[in-house]
Amino acid sequence: MTDLAEHVSEEAHGDHHDDDHGHHSSLGLSNMKLAMWLFLGSECLLFGALISSYLILKTRFLTELLAGNPDVIAGIDNPELVQEFIAEGSVEPLWDIPFTSLSSFILLMSSLCMVLAHKATEEGDYKNQRIWLATTAILGSTFIGGQIYEFTTFFAEGLTFDGSIFGSAFYTLTGFHGVHVTGGIIMLVSLLFLSLRGKLQADRSETVELVGLYWHFVDVVWVLIFTIVYLIP
Amino acid sequence: MTDATIEHAEDMHDDHGHNDHAHDDHGAHPTEKQYWVVFVILAILTAVEVAWSYLGLHGAALVVPLIVMMVVKFFLVAGVFMHLYFDTKILHGRVFWWTFAAATTLALLVYFIVFASFDQVF
Repeated sequence: MTDLAEHVSEEAHGDHHDDDHGHHSSLGLSNMKLAMWLFLGSECLLFGALISSYLILKTRFLTELLAGNPDVIAGIDNPELVQEFIAEGSVEPLWDIPFTSLSSFILLMSSLCMVLAHKATEEGDYKNQRIWLATTAILGSTFIGGQIYEFTTFFAEGLTFDGSIFGSAFYTLTGFHGVHVTGGIIMLVSLLFLSLRGKLQADRSETVELVGLYWHFVDVVWVLIFTIVYLIP
Repeated sequence: MTDATIEHAEDMHDDHGHNDHAHDDHGAHPTEKQYWVVFVILAILTAVEVAWSYLGLHGAALVVPLIVMMVVKFFLVAGVFMHLYFDTKILHGRVFWWTFAAATTLALLVYFIVFASFDQVF
């Protein structure tokens, strides 16, 4: 029997293994990809809730602060910062926009590296695949390093997690995002190890694409957080 | 094996050909150059966003352009980097977009109801 006939026989008996792509759903997507989109859909609701909560709690915090509520004032462990908040009528004095802009740029750059890693995988260019995967992971780690630095600075300036509803909402929102980026870095490093062991060939490019979908989602969420939390007063 | 059997086998092989390659469940992806172009646009938009926030504008003059730029960036990443624009070409488009629109409407309704329940905000 020829190879072709063997292939047909396997197909007829359902023995064809296409582990990476999975079977196609009625939407024309592989099941794995559809599952990732459903997961990302649920993540949209999670981050939607966190962003909404942040906006509501920040508004309430500022209203109480401007009304002179002593409990809210005592929640910020820095009288100078409280005065700046009151003078500006917003939490803007806390932000370091140039630094956060640089972090945003780094995360955008990592998204570019991710699509280039996927493209290199599709083309069977494994050297570039590893370079781009490693670069994406390094850029993601740099972003996380920046977030740790930012949290440390804010904490030193008097914004604690349990001191005010604004602090709780801010650290929860950006912290959850940071945890997602960290999860993405772990996935990227896993892909890099798979590639080094020769187990991430062109026929498994969908694996890279799925991790890419997650990574770009994390980037998209930061696009929203950067504008809504940092740039809009 | 007879010629007819081989012909039949090749037909079947063609039928299942869509499983042979990872890309066949979506349209053609952008080129490397297009990815770079999108990245440059995203970087420029981010720079403009930051510059806009330093102009000292207030109210709608500050917020509306920032929201517009944010939405453009969102759709560029989702459409090009996440291949949503390219995948939907063969995604039985109408079904996918109706599902997407229904889910978005439902999510927005839920958020509006939650917002409305906070007297302090509205």
